[in-house]
Amino acid sequence: MLGGRRYGPAPSDSRWFWVRNSEPGVLCLVSLVKYVVRRSLYLIPVFLGITLLVFSIERLAGDPVQIATFGNTHITEEQRQKIRQYYGLDKPVYLQYLHWLSELLVLNLGDSFSGGSVSNLVGQGILATLELQLLGLFLSLVIAIPIGIYSAKRRYSVLDVTLSSSALVGTSIPISFMGIAFILIFGYYLNLFPSGGAQSTIQSQYLYGNVFLDQLWHLTLPTLVYTFAILAPIVLLVRSSMLEVLRQDYILAARASGLGDRAILYKHALRNALIPIVTYVGLYFGGLLAGAPVTETVFNWPGVGALFVVKTNVLDFPVIQGVVVLITLMTLVANLVTDLTYAYIDPRIRID
Amino acid sequence: MASLSSRPRKRRGSGVSQWELAWRRLKMNKAALAGLVIVGVIGVMALLDRLIALYPPNCNVGTNPNCPNPGPKPDVWAIGIPPSWSFPFGTNLAGQDVYSQIVYGARAAFLVGIGATAIALAIATLIGLVAGYFGGWVDNVLMRLTEVVLVLPFFLILLVFLRILFTLSPGASGGLLVIILVIGAFSWPGPARIIRGEVLRVREFEYIVASRQIGASGFRILFRHLFPNTLHIIIVLSTLQIAGSILTEAAVSFLGFGDPNSITWGRQLADASEAVKQAWWAGLAPGIFITLLVMGFNLLGNGLRDALDPRLRE
Repeated sequence: MLGGRRYGPAPSDSRWFWVRNSEPGVLCLVSLVKYVVRRSLYLIPVFLGITLLVFSIERLAGDPVQIATFGNTHITEEQRQKIRQYYGLDKPVYLQYLHWLSELLVLNLGDSFSGGSVSNLVGQGILATLELQLLGLFLSLVIAIPIGIYSAKRRYSVLDVTLSSSALVGTSIPISFMGIAFILIFGYYLNLFPSGGAQSTIQSQYLYGNVFLDQLWHLTLPTLVYTFAILAPIVLLVRSSMLEVLRQDYILAARASGLGDRAILYKHALRNALIPIVTYVGLYFGGLLAGAPVTETVFNWPGVGALFVVKTNVLDFPVIQGVVVLITLMTLVANLVTDLTYAYIDPRIRID
Repeated sequence: MASLSSRPRKRRGSGVSQWELAWRRLKMNKAALAGLVIVGVIGVMALLDRLIALYPPNCNVGTNPNCPNPGPKPDVWAIGIPPSWSFPFGTNLAGQDVYSQIVYGARAAFLVGIGATAIALAIATLIGLVAGYFGGWVDNVLMRLTEVVLVLPFFLILLVFLRILFTLSPGASGGLLVIILVIGAFSWPGPARIIRGEVLRVREFEYIVASRQIGASGFRILFRHLFPNTLHIIIVLSTLQIAGSILTEAAVSFLGFGDPNSITWGRQLADASEAVKQAWWAGLAPGIFITLLVMGFNLLGNGLRDALDPRLRE
């Protein structure tokens, strides 16, 4: 397990193979593999618990077909029964669960109520979602980390107060509000960017007649809004964690030993200040697949988040279950990777 | 805050209590005071709603005797009028006075924020205290449960619950209550972990060991010693959770999953966004008010953290 064990001298046991023996990130291949295996084994019950929970959400409310077609007078009871038979919903619940679970192992998420396999539907959305999410994350990290460091370095300066208070406003704005404002200003009044979609519908509308440029053009506004939305909390996080680190004794020791400000800030403080950022990014990756339902809906972006909203509106349970389970699986893996990254960055944490 | 500041006066003896000290520190913090003022003003707005609103709730101005039209043409529906003296924030495309709707929405914002937070923090406190104090298998089971809930994509599941509810009973009058319950039921894991961490720290203190030595029961130690000493963290987490819950409601409403029968800022923003080119002011006001209230709670929360955190005390 990961523990707060202090960084000590390397064990001289010959079973240990050093992957990387330089200063902080002391990782050992054997213990690493052991750790990953143990953690993965431990993830299995958690994952099973989650599948059971997700599966029961729709069953708790009653018969899924009945709910999804509730109030629909055009459907007869016979047709409902046929739908149930088609989706295997007439079998006992535990058999349905086991069937769904076994299909899940081969990533077959079943069929959507509106036709088409869930895996295909999700697969179509994944690229658009990843494009928006990864670009947004990258941009916000690149912008937020320097701002956070600067704010911490020049605490209470005019620029720090301005930057950190705007970051606070940024964390408080509903993302839908920001999205609409951007569409109205840049899309409608200034007419600089398209207000939605991932690409122009007809070829003659392509920006400079080029598909790639056209897609980039459509990507701009959603990325901007999304970047701003996740930027603000990162700025505040970097700032506060940097301030926390700069208060530590070892920084004082470094200063006393005559190190320059620059070396202290970037060589000694930054590494430790980044640990909360790693947590943040790790959590972020976990939810990555969920997309940004609001941003994607505002900009009519064809990602998983918007798909989920549309399908939830019509209570398409196979899609709902599939997306939720994929996201939780991804979150579990992301958490594992985050824990491993800690051990790499933080010299005080060791894997035993 | 009034309750915090009035507490020391009831104390016997002299000296300054920790709450008094915290309040003094908070008073020095301009940002926190600004947050307190924002929350206070909007809170008063929510309490007085019918007294300070210009029109009754959901009133289409000029269409019935209860909704008099103050404009020059009394027969014309007041649809999409830009901000003016009669309509401070304009009217929306349904012909409602945006200012009055904002005033009514304030109550929903507070209800959602405080209601959801009360549920979440009650669960979180109980789980955090019990897991942290008893440790061992109790801790193990509770923390695994916390992890499972933490991993679930809470926002997506909230959408599913709301859609099921409103499909089965479209006129559900307790829609807001369901939003409160679901947000509350899913947002406790984060706070629970933090509270548990604090309990783990506090329970090693000498006075806890001492009270165990003189035979205090586990129950007594939990609620007389550990709970008061984690209260500062609970207060800070609550303020931040209120802010988060209000934003969640706004997002849910925006996606069309909100309660169709109550007036919330989120729904006003969503309705306005459909016709933003005809009446941008109808969306501006709810957007700004959500931002203000959330920011108020965030500022207050940050201020309280600085004021209450014992590790920052001189």
